[in-house]
Amino acid sequence: MSISSTYFPNEPTAPIIKTSEFPGEKSKADIKSLNKVFDSRSAYFVSDYEKSVGNYLVDSDGNTYLDVYAQIASIPLGYNNPALIEVAKSDKMIRAIVDRPALGNFPGKDTEEIISEILKIAPKGQDKVWSGLSGADANELAFKAAFFWYQSKKRGYSTPFSNEENVSVMEGQAPGSPELAILSFRRAFHGRLFASGSTTSSKPIHKLDLPSFNWPKADYPSYKYPLDQNEEYNKEEDKRCLAIVDELFKTWKVPIAGLLVEPIQSEGGDNHGSAEFFQGLRDITLKYGALLIIDEVQTGVGATGTLWAHDHFNLSPLPDIVTFSKKFQSAGYYFHDPEIIPNQPYRQFNTWCGDPARIILAGAIGKEVLKHDLPALNKKVGAYLFGKLEALQKKYPKYLQQLRGKDRGTFIAWSLDDAAARNKFLADMKTVGVNIGGCAEESVRLRPTLVFEEKHADILVDAIDKVLSSY
Amino acid sequence: MLKAALRRGVSKPSCLSSIRFSSSVAAQYFPNEPIKPQFVSETIPGPKSQALNNELGEVFDNRATYFVADYVNSLGNYISDVDGNKLLDVYCQIASIPLGYNNPALIEAAKSDDMLYAIIDRPALACFPSSNYKQILQEGILAAAPPGMTKVWTALSGSDANETAYKAAFMYQHAHKRGSLDFTHEELTSVMNNKAPGASDMVILSFDKGFHGRLFGSLSTTRSKAIHKLDIPAFPWPKAPFPALKYPLEEFKQENHAEEVKCLEEFERIIVEDYKPHSIAAIIVEPVQSEGGDNHATSFFFQGLRDITLKHEILMIVDEVQTGVGASGKFWAHEHWNLTTPPDMVSFSKKFQAAGFYFSNPELQPNQPYRQFNTWCGDPSKAIIARAIYQEVSKHGLVEKTAQVGDYLYDGLKQLVNKYSSKVSNLRGENYGTFIAWDCYDADVRNKVLLESRKRGVNIGGCGDVSIRLRPTLTFERKHAEILLQVLEDVFRVV
Repeated sequence: MSISSTYFPNEPTAPIIKTSEFPGEKSKADIKSLNKVFDSRSAYFVSDYEKSVGNYLVDSDGNTYLDVYAQIASIPLGYNNPALIEVAKSDKMIRAIVDRPALGNFPGKDTEEIISEILKIAPKGQDKVWSGLSGADANELAFKAAFFWYQSKKRGYSTPFSNEENVSVMEGQAPGSPELAILSFRRAFHGRLFASGSTTSSKPIHKLDLPSFNWPKADYPSYKYPLDQNEEYNKEEDKRCLAIVDELFKTWKVPIAGLLVEPIQSEGGDNHGSAEFFQGLRDITLKYGALLIIDEVQTGVGATGTLWAHDHFNLSPLPDIVTFSKKFQSAGYYFHDPEIIPNQPYRQFNTWCGDPARIILAGAIGKEVLKHDLPALNKKVGAYLFGKLEALQKKYPKYLQQLRGKDRGTFIAWSLDDAAARNKFLADMKTVGVNIGGCAEESVRLRPTLVFEEKHADILVDAIDKVLSSY
Repeated sequence: MLKAALRRGVSKPSCLSSIRFSSSVAAQYFPNEPIKPQFVSETIPGPKSQALNNELGEVFDNRATYFVADYVNSLGNYISDVDGNKLLDVYCQIASIPLGYNNPALIEAAKSDDMLYAIIDRPALACFPSSNYKQILQEGILAAAPPGMTKVWTALSGSDANETAYKAAFMYQHAHKRGSLDFTHEELTSVMNNKAPGASDMVILSFDKGFHGRLFGSLSTTRSKAIHKLDIPAFPWPKAPFPALKYPLEEFKQENHAEEVKCLEEFERIIVEDYKPHSIAAIIVEPVQSEGGDNHATSFFFQGLRDITLKHEILMIVDEVQTGVGASGKFWAHEHWNLTTPPDMVSFSKKFQAAGFYFSNPELQPNQPYRQFNTWCGDPSKAIIARAIYQEVSKHGLVEKTAQVGDYLYDGLKQLVNKYSSKVSNLRGENYGTFIAWDCYDADVRNKVLLESRKRGVNIGGCGDVSIRLRPTLTFERKHAEILLQVLEDVFRVV
């Protein structure tokens, strides 16, 4: 029996569409009412989570969508997964919800155990974790770790702070608040708080009117597709981008403590980089004494056919820090070098230092992912889906341009001519019962759950075919 | 006690409410709450705590651990450690436990269907809100909104709440500058290089000794201790002085007033002389600077900040992360000020378990969607807990009760501080619920008081360099206060 039918014996076998407009009447009224107290202008529709099951999301009008957007890539095992229901009802979870600890000061009896669970699916070679609350938070905590580390290399790990540092820092000035940078890439997305927002470079609307650290941005490769017909061009593209990174390290006006990169730039358009490109980044960071931080917030936890997307690159040595959130439900970063822990307590610190309720859930997600080898399933389903999309591409080349994500599980995307065409396509997909998301201006991205199988892929491909055949 | 309630303007002390107020809520919630601290191990942390903490250290930075807690066996105002010691807890997870450990009302909420779906089907709230989110907000977070506040934006922690408030402030101020114009080509291109005019060069002003979190924007406004800030790049944002009041307040009325006038003058001087008009987007201020040492100021000072910010069209953000949700004897501490115009935004977290900021002006929502946005935009599971917290607080009159027990505790501490005036001084928090603090002779004495208290079964926290702060739950009652006062007397005697 397939894993989705084991988990969800009552999962719908096809989408059910009850309204002619999206959002439907009831959703519209609910959005209007919620908007009075909570900004809801970006709402697609209002969901009925109680009725949603597996890969199907139900809205308040009763529309039942096959969901390949999955809460912006953050639902790991389908809606109302029984294994997660069980853990949500456990005494351990109830306790974590009602007695939320200040983890850094008063860890609980089971803290070590629940953290060990999320370490079981840690990326290869990473054996420690620091927990946060969201992807942006995870990345900013990683930046802090990188800055502490960089300064401690300069100062000596155990060397005390100078008086000048202690005084200047209270004025927000160097040397106590040093001028240091994190290097990121154009079209990258790493979150929307002030430092993560400074490394984000996806769209102006994500950044306008906010103060920003003036940190360097390198070019991320823009490959030509299909990859196997453009090898030479793409190799040159890797070289060009790596040369820019090297140059920035050499010339940027302040030292660069860390390089932050997504294995696949997701919000920025599902832009891929090759294993050679990433090994090049690894080599450059070693050469200049900076940390390599891999942002696996969207790519992590199985969606690319491996547990972590950077597994595809076989980097040597391994990345210094790997951040996670979204599908893992908990957030934070993995690392292995003990000197990435600052030299004193209360430096990497805050009230909650994570959330045991979410760490427990992440542990359960990890357990299911490993037990059922869901990355392998995702790899298989992804290959099947990619093949079908390639066939559709032949039929509708204008609407399935630059199909990307071969050998990357279900982490698949393609482009249309422009934003208008893309937005129309996304909207039209609702009429055939598919909830699907975009990225960048003109791309479509697939971000289904890890229990998305061939049968769901068939429905998706038929739905796309149906929409495109009407164009 | 009734008199104290009357003084606070608690409406109609009817027969019913006086009965209600005199009964012990703690006893109702926690019939088996320990009646005093209990000791099993000779030291705290005991051997089990130490062993478990060493294991934890292999995978998680544990160097700030006080002891390893046993939350299953913690109850009400008592925290249990893994050795079986039970301590009266007046620190409460750094001021974040509202109703005591294992509160039955919160257990019920945690077992509800609403909670179940919120945990396992966590939505991207702004894109796919659940059909009950409005109701959850309205019955909880919004029902508790400070006077004049009608909307909320939800976040995940105090730092996150403050930073989203800063974002709202920057976008609001730029929208005002820009008027009806669209973004310019220059703005759209420069912002992608993190440069003005697309990236803002406006600032947030905060106060010396303020604490507003530890992410990069919030940390730039945090001015508590060097160790919170060292080695981390910061925005070059201004700070103004916060009044350093002398205690007891009634003896230094004139000096303190002069101090507040001086601080307000300097505040306005910074605005007028150091910055061009409309380049300070907002100020952020705590009703009591908590991490920075429990520094108080009077209503006069805060009304002054409100007047000056209005005059210069600067937004006023009140950070109620630590002070909010009842501990000050009002649900929100800034209600003590009776401002003529409410603050523009009020941020919350900690005791409310949910986080975010309140506001009322619709223009604090940016002109387009996806500007104040992120994947989760909060967490319905925390909003559900916040609803249960609010409902319990109002059902049991816990704010009023906290005001009353706070008065009793303050009076007891006043006697102790007078008696041991060579060791402890500057008692703060009169008429301010249980949000009480005092100074010790020096950092060494302060740390000894913390350790000696723990030895005697009270878990207590410090703040600033030489201060001790009380941050008990809202179910902390006279019987708990009596134990605390007794332990503190013993401790003050020996340190």
